[in-house]
Amino acid sequence: MISFLTRLLGHSSGRIGAFIVCLYLAIALAAWFGLTPYDPLKQFRIDRLQGPSAAHWMGTDMFGRDVMSRLMIGIGQSFLVAFSSVGIAALVGTILGLTAVWFGRLWDGVVMRLMDVLLAFPAILLALLFITVVGPGTFTSILAIAFVYTPIFTRVVRGPALSIRARDFVDAARTFGSSTSYILTRHLMLNLVAPLTVQVTLALAWSLLTESGLSFLGLGTQPPNSSLGLMLADSINLMEMAPWLLIFPGLTVMLGILGFNLLGDALRDLLDPRMRRVAA
Amino acid sequence: MNYLLRRLVTFPLVMLGVSILVFVAIRLVPGDSITAMLGTEAGLLTPDQRQALAAYFGLDQGWLVQYGKWLSGVTSGNLGLSVTYGKPVLDVILQRFPLTLELAVLSMLIAICCGLPLGVFAATRNGRGSDLGVRIFAMIGQSTPSFVIGLGIIYVLSAGFGILPSMGEYIPFAQDPLGNLSQLILPALTLGLSFTASVTRISRSAMLDVLSDDYVRTARSKGVSKRHVIWRHALPNALIPVVTLSGVEFGYLLGGAVLVEQIFALPGLGRMTLEAILQRDYALVQGAVLFVALNFMIVNLLVDLAYVMLDPRIRLGGRS
Amino acid sequence: MTLKIACKWLACAAVVGGLMGATATPSLAATLKMAWAQDATGLDPHKQTAFSSIRLLELIYEPLVRLDGDLKVVPALAKEWTFSSDAKTLTFKLDPAAKFHNGAAVTSADVKASFTRILDQATGAAARANYVSIARIDTPDDKTVVFNLSQPDVPLLTAMGSINAAIVPASEITGGKIGTAAVGTGPFKLEKWEPNQKEVLKANPEWAGGKVGVDGIDISVLPDENAILAALRAKQVDFALLNDPLVATLVPKVAGLTLNRKPVLSYHVLQLNPSRKPMTELAVRQAISCAIDRQDVLDTALLGEGQITGPLTMPLYRSDPNSLFCYKKDLEKAKKLMADAGFKDGFSATVIAATGEPPTAASEAQVIQSQLKEIGIKLDIKLMELNVYVDTWLKGDFDMAVALNGGRADPYTMYNRYWTKAGNLQKVANYVDDTLDDLMQKGRVETDITKRKEIFAAFDKHLAEKSPWIWLYTGYSYTAQQQTVQNFVATPDGSLFGLSKVSIK
Repeated sequence: MISFLTRLLGHSSGRIGAFIVCLYLAIALAAWFGLTPYDPLKQFRIDRLQGPSAAHWMGTDMFGRDVMSRLMIGIGQSFLVAFSSVGIAALVGTILGLTAVWFGRLWDGVVMRLMDVLLAFPAILLALLFITVVGPGTFTSILAIAFVYTPIFTRVVRGPALSIRARDFVDAARTFGSSTSYILTRHLMLNLVAPLTVQVTLALAWSLLTESGLSFLGLGTQPPNSSLGLMLADSINLMEMAPWLLIFPGLTVMLGILGFNLLGDALRDLLDPRMRRVAA
Repeated sequence: MNYLLRRLVTFPLVMLGVSILVFVAIRLVPGDSITAMLGTEAGLLTPDQRQALAAYFGLDQGWLVQYGKWLSGVTSGNLGLSVTYGKPVLDVILQRFPLTLELAVLSMLIAICCGLPLGVFAATRNGRGSDLGVRIFAMIGQSTPSFVIGLGIIYVLSAGFGILPSMGEYIPFAQDPLGNLSQLILPALTLGLSFTASVTRISRSAMLDVLSDDYVRTARSKGVSKRHVIWRHALPNALIPVVTLSGVEFGYLLGGAVLVEQIFALPGLGRMTLEAILQRDYALVQGAVLFVALNFMIVNLLVDLAYVMLDPRIRLGGRS
Repeated sequence: MTLKIACKWLACAAVVGGLMGATATPSLAATLKMAWAQDATGLDPHKQTAFSSIRLLELIYEPLVRLDGDLKVVPALAKEWTFSSDAKTLTFKLDPAAKFHNGAAVTSADVKASFTRILDQATGAAARANYVSIARIDTPDDKTVVFNLSQPDVPLLTAMGSINAAIVPASEITGGKIGTAAVGTGPFKLEKWEPNQKEVLKANPEWAGGKVGVDGIDISVLPDENAILAALRAKQVDFALLNDPLVATLVPKVAGLTLNRKPVLSYHVLQLNPSRKPMTELAVRQAISCAIDRQDVLDTALLGEGQITGPLTMPLYRSDPNSLFCYKKDLEKAKKLMADAGFKDGFSATVIAATGEPPTAASEAQVIQSQLKEIGIKLDIKLMELNVYVDTWLKGDFDMAVALNGGRADPYTMYNRYWTKAGNLQKVANYVDDTLDDLMQKGRVETDITKRKEIFAAFDKHLAEKSPWIWLYTGYSYTAQQQTVQNFVATPDGSLFGLSKVSIK
């Protein structure tokens, strides 16, 4: 583990990516403990729509709320949505994909056809329908995004799992008396880690964007809470009057996704056995 | 062939699943065609009036009866009648589809024409400054929501230059090629930017993978020119993930790009479906989702066939 | 290589610019190019109640009478009318020049058929509720119609000024074609309608109301209002309807564009649900009224684009807001009222709002939330898709609701649905009050305008004091136009009928 970390930090894009992601996590954590310049929900309506100043580094929004403070809790909120939704999708997708391969036959058919149904459904409309049925909110957004992404993870896992199962070493392990769960964890998981990490970093970026799209349609994070997506969506009508409302959240989203992607690239380089060989 | 056959057999099964899912989901959403038409004034209706309107919208029967009727219509090619458009659902969809198709094709052309060369270029310069530049461009492209890009473009053009692509109505290419392109180029760029970015990323990493493969190294060591190795040996192999990604993205785009169509006021499939959901035009929502799902599955099938053409070693049967 | 790519992009951009320059030349034809964000949802004037539909139908159909810029009743299809002194018979003389778009003259038979259709339950006309006092319709000759009422009904005349009481050809009714073909009598004929996309209207040369100023109107549906503003800037449209005050306020800053603002009748309101604890307590409702700074909500959420109002929003009956109960924020009083009601430490409640309807709903809810926090009320905001909201609202299934409710020219027509015991929406208002019911019934039968004003002033004051709802303010209707567009007159009901007189220079 420690050696892995050292290698990650030795990787140039890994270093930058890890730094950005850690920075964001630290900011989110700080905001969680209330370490923001102002109360992010407190409205100083007298000072609304003020540009960046010494008192408010990133200006104030239409309610006179401090943009920087809102950005800080927004990062936390967006990370919560992104990580939870991708986490759920990856977990459920992996389980479905693995069991489909493991049990095969009928179960495989049922799972994969179900995933086909979900995949064939237009993604944003699927999320939209889901949210209109359940009602908007943080938890619903998480579920909706996870719902859309699960079939993709199932497929990502199933492909390699199939080819790994067909390989000799699984059979060999079996004949040597290793238990089923041991085979699953040791061999399958190890070989699945590479495609999964790539997919996870892609999905994280994608879910940040989806959340902002849903907020643009009024179905994402609910006010007065804030998320990066909601801040972007809310800033559109005020773009000409108060450009800072668009610029700061915009840069924050970009940098965040950049961080995920750099980290993802590095992880892929380090985890993919073939790439490891090249690096060596 | 065996694989293709099996795929085709599962088509109706998946479509059935999609149709049930959309049928139930749209009816689970509170509100119906009556409240969509009347808003809060719906509260002024007497029970008799409500009954009359429910019968008019075909809401007075049980779900199973409604679904059965709809399904038997579908099997004979009749997707029902849209209450907002007063036309058969299929007519409404087919009228909106050319724009969506063209937009998807244009975005994909932009993505492949820009993304593939950029990705290959970055891969050959692995780790150098220009590689970093390309990667940062790709990441910015991937990380900017399309509505921000779209509204930004519109604002800059209209406020800065006083020009704007024509909005509201689709100008078919056959009717006015110049007008058609000037109308669609910006929305296509908006969609194409993030698409380009993904293609760049995927082709870069696929290229890196292939370049590190033994046979490429062997070819290089035998003195084959670098350019030749890249274009003749490496690229065809690196194309597989690019085709997969483009296929999936293209499939999604055929479902319509809701936000971009909304911002550029283009009458495409995505906006139509969103509006149909908001107006509780059940038949139209069902028809549209079914149509989009069918397209998606056909595109995916084509992608699978493309694999075989790119790499004869792949036997499709093994993948299913 | 990178430089080459940059060059390619620049070249691309240049081509794009050139292409678009070609399409952006302003046209000299006298067709008005217009844009709005929300399209009509149907063509049946008797059934459609949404603003977006009425905007369109008012250009195609006509009722017997019409409301002018000051909401006075003026002739439309009827040249003149008389109300009997007991307010139980209403007689109209039709305009002999009036013709339908199909060339047929408008006769009393068409009027009778139209109202019979509205009153028929099988039609499903929501506006029927405003006309139920009509007991019998007589047609002594081709151009005379007599409405015999079951009870005195003064507001009926104003209610007839609605497009929901439009006159359609009797032949179209029997043919079952209302709603599929638009045969009206109005200034424009509907040539083409592509829902959610565009409308093509052509001027009606035979319109009895006079000569139409333009050859026609091309309406584009541009769902994003920022895009509408951009289209105005690029001179792609001449005239546009705007909803969002945040976008509308940008219009005057653009050279060559004019913004028309007209105060409207519809009102922004915080609806309390007096059947739910603790809003059952008068003191709690009053405390909420005192704790809310209406001007502050208006300034923040609508950038000050509106006017504080009591329950009655029509100019003739509107009262001075400062004379109403607690229209000046009074935190001390609010806190005391809360304490008196036994809620010294406040309580928690949920407020519902519709996404984008009005566009400011989410902002209003947030300011109100912040203001009510000062007296210990913890509000939880629930934003809902419009239809979900309507469904919830109609069931009365909320603690509080941020709403933009439609206004009418007559106080009785506007409020009998909520504040009379038999009102159709009594279940939404959830508040029964003998005084209110009594005043409404009196106002309905009173023909003397001074006495009517007194009755409704008392109604206004009582309603504000009992605070079942917290009336906030009225906004504006916005239209934006190029300098070439002339003679547009806006009305408080937000009608675009003024387009019949518009010309392009």
